[in-house]
Amino acid sequence: MAEVVIMPKQGQSVESCILTEFKKRKGDKVAVGDVLFAYETDKASFEEESKAEGVVLEVFFNEGDEIPCLTNVMVIGAEGENAEEFRPGGSAPVATAVETKAEELTTDAVAKEETTLIVAPNAVATPGCGVSPRARRLAEKEAVNLAGVAGSGPNGRIIERDVKAAIEESAKMTPLAKAVARQTGAIAPERGTGLAGTAKGADMAMLKSVVGASDSEIKPISNMRKIIAKAMHASLQNSAQLTHHLSADARRIMELRKRVKKAVESGELATNITLNDLVCFAVIKALKQFPNVNAHFLGDSVRLFKKVHLGLAVDTERGLMVPAVRNADELSIVELASRLKEVATACKKGSIDPDLLSSEAASFTVSNLGNYGVEIFTPVINLPQSAILGVNTIVPRPKDIGGGVYAFVPHIGLSLTYDHRALDGGEATRFLKQIAIEIENLEIEF
Amino acid sequence: MPKSLFVDPVELRQPGEITFAPIPVNQYNKSIKEELAEKNFSNEDLKRIYRDMFIIREFETMLNLVKTTGGYNGVEYNNPGPAHLSMGQEAAAVGMAYMLDTDDFIFGSHRSHGEILAKGLRSIEILPEEELQRVMEEFWGGATLEVAKKGFKGGSTKDLGVCFLLYGAMAEIFARITGFNKGLGGSMHTFFTPFGIYPNNAIVGGSGSIAVGAALYKKVNRKKGIVVANLGDGALGRGPVMEGMTFASMDQFTRLWEGDMKGGLPVLFSIMDNQYAMGGQTRGETEGYNFAARIAAGFNVDAMHAERVDGYNPLAVIDGFRRKKALLEEKKGPALLDIVTYRYSGHSPSDASTYRTPEEVKAWEDIDCIKCFGERLIEAGVATQQELDAIVAEMKSVIFEMYKLAIDEQLSPRMDLTKNTEQLGEMMFSNGSVDSMSDATPDVNHPMEENPRVKQLATKERFAFDKDGKPFSKMKTFGLRDGLFEAIIDRFYKDASLVAYGEENRDWGGAFAVYRGLTEALPYHRLFNSPISEAAIIGTAIGYAMCGGRVIPEIMYCDFLGCCGDEVFNQLPKWQAMSGNILKMPVVVRVSVGSKYGAQHSQDWTSLCTHIPGLKVVFPVTPYDAKGLMNAALQGTDPVIFFESQRIYDIGEQFHEGGVPKEYYEIPIGEPDVKREGSDVTILTIGATLYRALKAADIFKEKYGISAEVIDARSLVPFNYEKVLASVKKTGKIIIAGDATARGSFLNDLAANITTMAFDYLDAAPVVLGSRNWITPCHELEEAFFPQPQWFVDAYHEKIAPIAGYVPVCNMTDAEMVRRAKEGI
Repeated sequence: MAEVVIMPKQGQSVESCILTEFKKRKGDKVAVGDVLFAYETDKASFEEESKAEGVVLEVFFNEGDEIPCLTNVMVIGAEGENAEEFRPGGSAPVATAVETKAEELTTDAVAKEETTLIVAPNAVATPGCGVSPRARRLAEKEAVNLAGVAGSGPNGRIIERDVKAAIEESAKMTPLAKAVARQTGAIAPERGTGLAGTAKGADMAMLKSVVGASDSEIKPISNMRKIIAKAMHASLQNSAQLTHHLSADARRIMELRKRVKKAVESGELATNITLNDLVCFAVIKALKQFPNVNAHFLGDSVRLFKKVHLGLAVDTERGLMVPAVRNADELSIVELASRLKEVATACKKGSIDPDLLSSEAASFTVSNLGNYGVEIFTPVINLPQSAILGVNTIVPRPKDIGGGVYAFVPHIGLSLTYDHRALDGGEATRFLKQIAIEIENLEIEF
Repeated sequence: MPKSLFVDPVELRQPGEITFAPIPVNQYNKSIKEELAEKNFSNEDLKRIYRDMFIIREFETMLNLVKTTGGYNGVEYNNPGPAHLSMGQEAAAVGMAYMLDTDDFIFGSHRSHGEILAKGLRSIEILPEEELQRVMEEFWGGATLEVAKKGFKGGSTKDLGVCFLLYGAMAEIFARITGFNKGLGGSMHTFFTPFGIYPNNAIVGGSGSIAVGAALYKKVNRKKGIVVANLGDGALGRGPVMEGMTFASMDQFTRLWEGDMKGGLPVLFSIMDNQYAMGGQTRGETEGYNFAARIAAGFNVDAMHAERVDGYNPLAVIDGFRRKKALLEEKKGPALLDIVTYRYSGHSPSDASTYRTPEEVKAWEDIDCIKCFGERLIEAGVATQQELDAIVAEMKSVIFEMYKLAIDEQLSPRMDLTKNTEQLGEMMFSNGSVDSMSDATPDVNHPMEENPRVKQLATKERFAFDKDGKPFSKMKTFGLRDGLFEAIIDRFYKDASLVAYGEENRDWGGAFAVYRGLTEALPYHRLFNSPISEAAIIGTAIGYAMCGGRVIPEIMYCDFLGCCGDEVFNQLPKWQAMSGNILKMPVVVRVSVGSKYGAQHSQDWTSLCTHIPGLKVVFPVTPYDAKGLMNAALQGTDPVIFFESQRIYDIGEQFHEGGVPKEYYEIPIGEPDVKREGSDVTILTIGATLYRALKAADIFKEKYGISAEVIDARSLVPFNYEKVLASVKKTGKIIIAGDATARGSFLNDLAANITTMAFDYLDAAPVVLGSRNWITPCHELEEAFFPQPQWFVDAYHEKIAPIAGYVPVCNMTDAEMVRRAKEGI
């Protein structure tokens, strides 16, 4: 009995996913638990594991295709079983993404004969004869070079069905290859270097040298990169951001950190508590005192949160991710530390719940670059949140320690970017100062 | 053909001769002293007659000087618009207006400044001051009065009224927004309904039928007053004038109409007989009547009580109007007065009067109506020369003041169509929604539920098919004509002002049985047979609606639209905007598109109507659409040309789920309707072509696996393209079909607009499938002429996407198109 593998729905708001890589291909043997393919939403990447054992009978999409959630992606079953019945309902965009296989071509041809619609195309398109606007539009979208297309319309005009036929017959191209073809007029090789002979961007460059083609490469950006680009650009375009910098005496938290280390080493404490966890703990305490900061600015209204949902900027291979720890103000320092670790790891593995990545999921965000030695920076707000705290590295600063004696005291830098539409400088400064006070006087129990 | 009138062969074949009632010619011969002794006038009345005549003379002189010298009293102005002046005709105009109340309406011609001013001045004189004040203050929110006041040198409300009248008329002539019709009427269409001044008409004789409709309105709606149609003698050469007179003289008013409706129409044809029609001389050259009054003899046994009066003596004209008005009030209309007069000016200032001698003009100037009347006043001791001079000086000053205001670009601006680009567009339709144009209780013969047709319709099947999809018999099916009937009878019971008439509307129930049952429901005055006078049918409907009524005139065959071309193309569509939106035009013209009857009875002329701005045009072809669109048309306040197809009066409802609702509902005018959904090609149809397109869709599907989406235009003007564009974006292909001959048809307009708006989505240029550019042949040959189902497949194959192995039946190649165009066929 053939098993269908569908594109899972990852989170409420996700409507489609991009299939990034096939781990199993048509004909491959598959065991339960084998990774079949990797895919990503606009926020995270995932891997789909097989729940069935058998052979991959059919794969309906190509890598890079955007696939609506719950659509059939592949079929696993016993060798020789028919998988055709599971093919997603032949709508045009899906159809163009279907892999080209000899048998399919034959079935297609039969279907066409039945409709009697296709007239044998004129052997060669007459130069100068027309192209319908609709056909031209489709050709442009699919980067079909019309020079080789024979028209079957009145007087040899190239009409939509001719372009569709050309797409069927020609080499598959990746979106990048299409972009290159559109820009440069390059023609795809009969067989590209990509999957199933798909022409890739690089294949196009080989055929037609463009300026800089030898020492540069046009590379499509990931879906997530696009999302980050859009969100960050929108944030700076649509709000009034500015950053205040201030530093806190770090001696207290450094001492706490020492105690933690000792406790961990001695086995008293199971969970490591990092400096960042301590700073976050202090931030949560400060946020409880500044409800206007723990808020979303919505243009003509603000959403004030009763709880603190703390967003944490996490650097991953795929790019920046900001998972939220919900109800962080209810957590003890140990619980907070383990939750923060949990979400960061999930992000890095790509298994994070996408709903937690929504900028609406957090009420405030902390971005810590201290590890990297950054001394000062201006983080970008994750709209609609009202502010974001950047945490910097610890540096020794001269400080009057009493009696006119100056000593170098470690200070941790704090950079608060806030949306001036939501907050004024006074309140923002008071809040930032409060974080420093909390850091300097932090009490924890473990 | 009422049964009550017996057509008696014995009587009709009797020998004998026709004698005509004598038509009096210039019989008035009273002196001023006699008039004073009879207390017909006071001294003040007579001096006011002199004043009014002088105002007209100076007003026209001013316009003449502006046209010929580029200014007046040294103040320059260029008036590029028309000026058909009436110097010399003042006594006729003032005499005409003298006996009229504000309830009495006048209609005029292209040469009517004098009549407008005379009627306006008379209304100012007889209106109570507070009423006059209210009229002026409420008009355009006081905008016109505000400017006129700036030149008002003080005096009574009536003096201010004179300023208001002169300013409003001048501003209108100079196309200013403060004019009586926002400057949209101009010289030939200036009017002011609060003073009983109804539209003048740039089309010679245009008022000849419109005024009759106004009289019909007064009669049917029991409104006070008479209606005067001021026509030139040249207008007597116009068919529509003859038709208007025929309509006005119908025997049925006195022989068939009942109760208080019995009696003639209160309309007076006032012929301003100035001897010239352009350069043609009516008497002796272009007419054969010798006396214009003679024509009246042909219309009824009373010869319309016609008389010729001396239009150079205002008192003779007043005497004539006094007696004719009394006749009309006794329901003895219509009446006709031939008012002998003369214009000193040419047809227009560019007319060099090469057709007459200076001696002739001088002979009339020697007996000039104003000069002679002044002399008679002095002679009778009514006024002194100084008094008359004072009147002249004062009126010259008033006119000069108003002239300066009317040409002032700041105080009297024109409509700014650069800034408010759509201002005029928004005035083309009133888009009202009005249940009833009248407060009265409708005159009906019985409650609607007792009507035999209503009872019969209750038993009919309101959807064409039974639950197994089998069609009901024609007899059992509620047809398109029944849908129309339900909408129309509903309105007759809602709106007391509604009347319907046409060529056979009453006893047959209309030529196509739409009105069957209405005969029983309605008294004569709400549903009657008209003469075979299409110009009068539409012309009277226009007058009827202008005065505030709602009307359904019927043109029995679309082919007869040409007979009322001026009324449908020049009058009906124009008056709402030309009046500055003062007038509404709730006229639903039912037009039946014939079939089977050959070249002059089977033409679809929808395109002619769509070409004319100001008409709404609909062509429903299912009972559901027919009822819904007729309801919408009758609820509205705009002129609607309502096309019906004789091919399908009996067709049942095949599309609307649940059939035709019994209840009232409206389908908004302008919305096309998808009758069948499809994905490969769109077919857009006008009229009954829909049913052939559906057959074509069946062929496409069954034989070629092509899924056609069929859209019924339903309305042509206005037309919402959204649904059609959405369909074309889906299919990429469209065939636009209708029964109109293809060349110059609205089908091409649709095709051009769709091409423009959906160009990038089109896989082929839209294909127009109209009838051949021939005469419509006999029914047996019609298949070669009107678009047939197979033509759609041919068009698809030839012009959109060739079908393998398909052999077309028609030659639709480009070469053939070129050949046909070369041949003009």
